[in-house]
Formats: sequence, structure tokens, C-alpha cells
Amino acid sequence: MTMELSAGAAKRRGAGGWRWSGRIFLLLLLGFTVMPMIWMFITSLKTGFAAMQYPPQWWPAEPTLENYWRLIDPSGNVGRDFIQYFWNSIWVSTLTTILAVVVAVPAAYAFSRFRFPGRNFLFFAVLLRNMFPAVVFLVPLFILMKALGLVNTHGSLILTYLTFGLPLAIWLLKGFYDNIPVQLEQAARIDGATRFQAFFLIVMPLSTPGIIATSIYSFIGAWNEYIYAYTFLTRHDQMTLPVGIQRFFSENATDWPGLMAATFMMSIPVVVLFLVLQRYFVRALTEGAVKH
Amino acid sequence: MAQVILKDVVKNYGDVYAVNHVSLTVEDGEFVALVGPSGCGKTTTLNLVAGLIPMSGGTINIGDRDVTDLDPKDRDIAMVFQNYALYPQKSVYKNLAFPLQMRKLPKEEIDKRVQAAAKTLDIVHLLERKPRELSGGQQQRVALGRALVREPRAFLMDEPLSNLDAKLRVQMRSEIKRFHQDLNATIIYVTHDQLEAVTMSDKMAVMNGGFLQQYDSPANVFANPVNMFVASFVGSPAMSLVPLTAASKDGKVVLQSPEGWEMPLSDANGRKALSAKSSKVVLGGRHSTITVHKSQVPGAVPGKVYTVEPTGDVTFAQVFVSGAVVNVSVAPTFQLRPDEPVFLEFDQDRMHLFDGETEMALKLA
Repeated sequence: MTMELSAGAAKRRGAGGWRWSGRIFLLLLLGFTVMPMIWMFITSLKTGFAAMQYPPQWWPAEPTLENYWRLIDPSGNVGRDFIQYFWNSIWVSTLTTILAVVVAVPAAYAFSRFRFPGRNFLFFAVLLRNMFPAVVFLVPLFILMKALGLVNTHGSLILTYLTFGLPLAIWLLKGFYDNIPVQLEQAARIDGATRFQAFFLIVMPLSTPGIIATSIYSFIGAWNEYIYAYTFLTRHDQMTLPVGIQRFFSENATDWPGLMAATFMMSIPVVVLFLVLQRYFVRALTEGAVKH
Repeated sequence: MAQVILKDVVKNYGDVYAVNHVSLTVEDGEFVALVGPSGCGKTTTLNLVAGLIPMSGGTINIGDRDVTDLDPKDRDIAMVFQNYALYPQKSVYKNLAFPLQMRKLPKEEIDKRVQAAAKTLDIVHLLERKPRELSGGQQQRVALGRALVREPRAFLMDEPLSNLDAKLRVQMRSEIKRFHQDLNATIIYVTHDQLEAVTMSDKMAVMNGGFLQQYDSPANVFANPVNMFVASFVGSPAMSLVPLTAASKDGKVVLQSPEGWEMPLSDANGRKALSAKSSKVVLGGRHSTITVHKSQVPGAVPGKVYTVEPTGDVTFAQVFVSGAVVNVSVAPTFQLRPDEPVFLEFDQDRMHLFDGETEMALKLA
């Protein structure tokens, strides 16, 4: 396999032009994805005046962390709200993730292992939700939440995010369980484990990468969600970050450096999560894809 | 070790019977092979004994206990799987220790037993490795070791050798046999390879279509197959079966072919042939009981050589006789050419006759 691959690589190298054009293409793509982030960071270091200058300053003449201090200073108005939004986001995303995993793990396991009446239909029904654009459900869900008295609560968001997150989590985890040979559980049960022990001691540890990948997906999904949070929440103390940071747009002017600092802060948890867990994440995606 | 008794065991999925009223007794210390083509119900039967799938009917006893409704963990059995089913995240040591930990043995006892099992199977040097770092043969040993540490009442083995290459398979075959002898273990061994069953087992249970066809020692199954399925399944090359018609002629019984030749039968065989439900009788013969002649001799039947396969010690050939393929063997010095006409003489004392309607072996009343 390795031999074949390197032979193939050598062949490609022979056609040298392709190799370079490929790299240039990748560089362009990278620039396209990374540039906005770099610009976001640079802008966040500028003063309000510097941010609006034309031609733009590629690097601020007087870089300042003032925008960040403002965000994390609990004594100021901006800081107090920002910290509140941040915790709201953490709380909603974390609870969504935990609930998604707690429900998806047994559901995915059941879909993978058991044959029960309506199994295929139910699995299809679970996925059906994700075949519609999220916004389709905005009004119906709002009416539902209102009826349930959940408008302006985090409960409305968590329930809504679960409707996106769960199907994906179940589907992803089912792929994982499908790839774990059933004989492992059978061996464990013969070796003296109950069904639950076989699951918790043998199958669960093997599906850790899947559970982590699922968690990241549902966390990011909840963390970045805007339209539902915007619709369901009107009270400032309830708002999550994507909605909350809108306050940087005011009627008269937009505080670009402040906004950029806030967005930068907002992307930190996701990036950290991703960096710490990326090896599981990659494994999850590849293992789910390849049958052994 | 203990006796295992299956009584009227049934497993059906709706109208499909994977295991159809199977009864058999595995004596204490016996090595029984469940053998048959794929889909015959042998693995399902083993899983029923293990308790991995619920039974539709019947009872299973292991030792003095009725285990029919017990969980696998309470049946006190060990199982070796075709894909070994080693726990990938655990080291070899922890794989071996797992069944003991589940039974809450003290740590020192676990260590003692793991070391002993590792020593028996010559895997002491592998104890710290993970299963994926082992070769197929080593994984196989670890799987055996995990079964062995617990001193269970019975060992269940599901095609444990079929993932190994040919050479290793032969080696592990004798090791498992040795393992059985040393431990005086009760073993139920599933295989689709009749040669494995014949060479390793004390008794073989031949299954087909969910039914137990025959349960006897390999020698008896080989010598006295109860029906055409068993006859053609056991033995390599397979027993050849030629459908013919029985008729009485001048006080003698003969087998007639549609082409018009006749083969006189001995008195005993004649009586067997006449006991068939109709005149349809199937002649069966193993290659070792058929003599090949280049010219007609009394009692021999005509055929045409189809293929010739020299193996060195012996040359196998397939001969068309009345539309059926008959496997024969000749000395390597005996020259045969494809399409050559030959005459086959069946040994009257060792030939088999089957009822053409029921496919059952014809026996003297």
C-alpha cells in the first residue's frame, strides 16, 4: 500500500506543474479562509479611529488591548453584559451538548445493535429533521415555545438546538457502533459482564472518539446559532453571544474594534476545544467512513 | 468440565427455522464439532448454547444446571470467536484478566492465573502488548488464553482457525487438539471445514438447513453417512453419487442407467436397493473404494475421464458416469487422459446406496 502510494506520488511529481499549481490553489484557499480571521484580530487591536482609516492600516500604528479590557472588565457596562452573554452561551452550549450525548449514545447504540419494529422508519424520521433548512421551523417552534411558556428562557434554545444536534449525533454515533464488532460485547458478556457492563466497559471506551466528535459538533452548533436565539430571546440577561454582540452595532456608528474583539473572544472556546480534541475528531471522521 | 445437553432446541425467525429441533449430548470432556455449510445453523446453535441469542424452544443443560434462561455470564462457559474479539483498548494481560475481574477474584489470584495461562500458551512475552500489535496466530493464542484462565465448564469455539493462513491453521489445529487433551475440556467447536471436524473432534454433528443430520464419531460418519447430504459433505474429495434405477433380473438385483448399462449388486446390496421407496436408487462411492480399469471387467460401469489432477502421491480424476461426476483416485503411474473411456468397479462391500426419493441411506432391516 505504502509502496503503491509513493510510486503514485513519484508519478505526480514527474508532472511537476500539477504539484505547484496544487499548492498555489491550497494557499489561495487558505488565505481565503484565514484572512478574515487575521483581519478580525488586527482590527480588534485598533482604536475606533484607526479602524475607519482609509487606506487601512495593515498593522495598527498604536496597537491596543483596550477593546479586550473593556470586554472583560465587570465594572463597566460593556464588560458586565459581555461576561453575562459569554456565560449564557457556555451554559446553553454545554447543556445542549451533554443532553445530546446522553440521549444520542443509547439511541445510536439501539439503532446499531437491535432489530425492532419500525427501526428503519424511526431512523429515517430522526434524520428527516436535518433535511429541512433550520429557518423553516422558526415560526412553528416560536409558537410552540410561547405555548410552553419557554420564550425568553434558555430552555427554549436548548430544546431547539437538540432538534438539530441530536439527529446528527445519533447518525454519527451509529456509524461508530456499527464499526465495533458485536463479538466484543458477546465476549464480554460471556466473560461475566452484564449487558450494561459490556457496554460501559468495552463499547463505550471504544466509541470515545465518536462521542468527542459528536460533542464538538453539537457544542459548535449551539455556540454559533444566531437566528433562534435572536427570535426567542428579548431579555438582555438571557442573550447568548451571537445575539448579544450585536449591541456593538448602534444606530449611529458601529464599534468595529469592539465588535472584532468580542468575536475574537467568542471564537476562542471553539478553537481551543477543537485543538485539544482534534485528533479524536479526525479519527472519528475517518473511522466512521471506512469499514473494517 | 461438564456435560452439555441440548434438548429439542429451536430458533426461528418467523417461518425461517435457523435451528430446527436439535437434540444432542456432549459428554464431559468430549470434543464435538458442529459442521455444515454456511447458513446451516451451526453458529446459531453455538450462540444459543452461549446464551447470546434467545431460544425459541427447547432446553439446554450445562452440567447439572438448566441454563436455558440464564444470561451468558451465568452459564460458566468460555468462547473463542472467529475474529478473536480481543478487547482492542486493553493489553494482552488485561484481556486475560478481564473474565477474572468480572468474577471479582482477588488481585493475586488473577495475576497467578493470567501468568499460568500465558505460560501454557507461550505468550508471556506479549502480555504488555495491545492486540493490534500481534500477529493473527498470536491473537488466536490470546483468545484461547482468555477462554482458558477461567476454568469454565465448557469451551465454545466459533470457527477459531478460519482467519489464519493455511500453514498456521494446521499448526493451531494440533495445538487446540493438544489443549483439549491436556485439559480434558468439553469443547463445542463450529467449523465449515469438514477436514477440521474430522481431524479434531471426538464426535461430529453434521448440520444442514437447521437440522441435525448426523451425530457420531468422525469414523462412523465417514463410513456410514445417514443420507446423501452427509455423504457428499464429509470426505475429501466428496463421495460421488450416481442416480440409477434398481431392477430385479434373473433373481438378482441390478442397477440400471438410462444409457442402458447394468451393474449387478451383491445379495446384501440387492436387498438394500429393494428396500427403497421407489425404484430410484443413488449409488455412492468414495474414491478409495473405486477401481479404475482401462477395459471392461465384470461389474464395472463405463465412464469418460473429465479432468485429471496429479497431486504427487496420488492422482485424482473426475469421471463422468451416467451424467454424474465420480471422483476416483489412481496411482501416479497410472496414465489417464481427459476424454478417455474407462470402466469403474465399485467395491460391493464399501459402496453406499441411498433412497432416490428420501435421500436417506438404505440399510439392511
